[in-house]
Amino acid sequence: MSYTLRKALQGLLLILGVTFISFLLMVWFGPDQTYTLIGKNATPAQIQEVRQTLGYDRHFLARYADYLVELLTLDLGASTSSGEPVSGMLARTVPVTLALMLPGFVLGNLLGVTLGMAAARRRGQWSDRLISGLSVTGMSISFLIIIIAFQVLLCTPYGLDLFPVRGWQVTDLPSYLRYVAVPSFALIFVTLGYNTRFYRAVFVEESARDHIRTAHAFGASPAVVMWKHVLKNSMVPIITRIMFSIPLVIISGSLLIESYFGIPGVGKITFEAITNGDQPVLKAVVGLTAAAFVLIQLAADLLYRAVDPRVA
Amino acid sequence: MISSSAGYAAREVPAPTRDRGAAERIWVRLRDDRSGMIGLVVVGLFLAVAAAVWLGLAGQGWSAADGGRWEPAGPQHWFGTNVLGQDVFQRAIYSVRTAFEIGLAVALLSTALGAALGALAGWYSHGWVDGTVLWLMGVLDSIPFFLFVAAVAYAMQGQPWAMHLAMIATFWTTTGRLVRAEVMKLKTREFVLAARSIGLPAPLILARHVLPNTVHILLVQSTIAFVAAIKTEVILSFLGLGVQDGVSWGLMLAESTQEVLAGHFNNFLAASVMLFALLMGFNLLADALQDAFDPRQGTP
Repeated sequence: MSYTLRKALQGLLLILGVTFISFLLMVWFGPDQTYTLIGKNATPAQIQEVRQTLGYDRHFLARYADYLVELLTLDLGASTSSGEPVSGMLARTVPVTLALMLPGFVLGNLLGVTLGMAAARRRGQWSDRLISGLSVTGMSISFLIIIIAFQVLLCTPYGLDLFPVRGWQVTDLPSYLRYVAVPSFALIFVTLGYNTRFYRAVFVEESARDHIRTAHAFGASPAVVMWKHVLKNSMVPIITRIMFSIPLVIISGSLLIESYFGIPGVGKITFEAITNGDQPVLKAVVGLTAAAFVLIQLAADLLYRAVDPRVA
Repeated sequence: MISSSAGYAAREVPAPTRDRGAAERIWVRLRDDRSGMIGLVVVGLFLAVAAAVWLGLAGQGWSAADGGRWEPAGPQHWFGTNVLGQDVFQRAIYSVRTAFEIGLAVALLSTALGAALGALAGWYSHGWVDGTVLWLMGVLDSIPFFLFVAAVAYAMQGQPWAMHLAMIATFWTTTGRLVRAEVMKLKTREFVLAARSIGLPAPLILARHVLPNTVHILLVQSTIAFVAAIKTEVILSFLGLGVQDGVSWGLMLAESTQEVLAGHFNNFLAASVMLFALLMGFNLLADALQDAFDPRQGTP
């Protein structure tokens, strides 16, 4: 019980930390919003009124508390560029982002585990060297280059011209697959090198343990040892890896993929908020995703404890 | 002293400073690593190009628009021209300098920050200093990186240093964690105990005796930070948060996103080939350094 309590307290401190940083950067140090809201030729009384609704006359900590309350109640205000409520924008865009990013994220990890396992089983042989060499090569190619190359090769007359160049006109399953294919290929490709390398190292380390040698000595076949003993005992680093790659791959990845392919997800509204200086959208997205990620970590920590009693 | 696991530590001869034998052994292992040497040569060549740009010997015509629109590669313009008629080869060469400026600034400062905070946390482990540093790492690792950059850029209103600052502020955490763990190990070693027992102040022990023994971590981490910085610059420049003036491979690629659909590949090919070569060189070098410092964990 004290473990759960300690983790919950740590999670709470982390959430306070991430929201404080996003408050500091965007609300406290961010540019003055007064004139964005009322435009030119405002009377001093109007200016005073807007500054009051924005809370500019209030104490630092009071404004931080306001921001926390906004995030907690999901009462996030309206976008300064479109006037749409931010919570409505998020409700519309989050499902698109998940539908777009999950297939590539899951397949990238599955392929990484498979290739890492194949390399670890043949450690030092030519197939291991080939897989490791290709991983380093993949790690050396920029995400943007991968996206451009896949788009040219798969979506334009300069290549195979199989898929739509950009956009997201999804109505049914076939159209979903058509639009999700190229972004997913790019996502798999960009994560595969890092994933393979990481999982290979995990499996190599696990294979060197005594109980694995014992299993071999008892005559278990290499495949059984790999699946039953090595993979099972590597689950903690694998889950940790997947959890920790969520902010980088899914959230940062969606920012790039959606703004590049013009897909109306969280990444695209964030990108537009960056270019327009749309503070309500930015502070909501940054605060909420960081807080959500802390909660996911917390859930993972508690899950480890449930699965593996050694975790303390 | 190569970083040794705690179990072997007691049996080793305490070595407060790196003896020449160890440095030589590392260099020999590095020299025998073929792909590592290729990486070193590639990085060296790029560094030479960057130096030539700094000295004004190359890439100076990067902004002159003296060609036609999207001219193909030829003797006049080796890699062709862009939409404004600027020479793509000159721009790609000048971008080497931009890449090294970003990479060096971010790698050096983020590694230094990670070393300092990691050493403090490890030295005062399980105290409030350690708790605070660990909390800070957890917070920074929890904010999705590009959103953090966006927030920093928003707060700094288009300052050219926003990108560098954001990278330094987040990249140090990995180095910090590794240095913290190593310092926790080192502080139980005899040479550190000896230094404490004769009453040397903690900052002096850390600077003279502990941090020099984490050089293997700092060297490898700074090459990794260099790679990450260059890769990040590309994406940030595409998002409009990166390089604000001058030219970089990221800006060239951002420009090319509009051109490739119309069949103009000058910018795309020049920037991506050079970017790939430099990143590959650095990755090979980082792997070789890792293996040379720590042969037990290396790839076979």
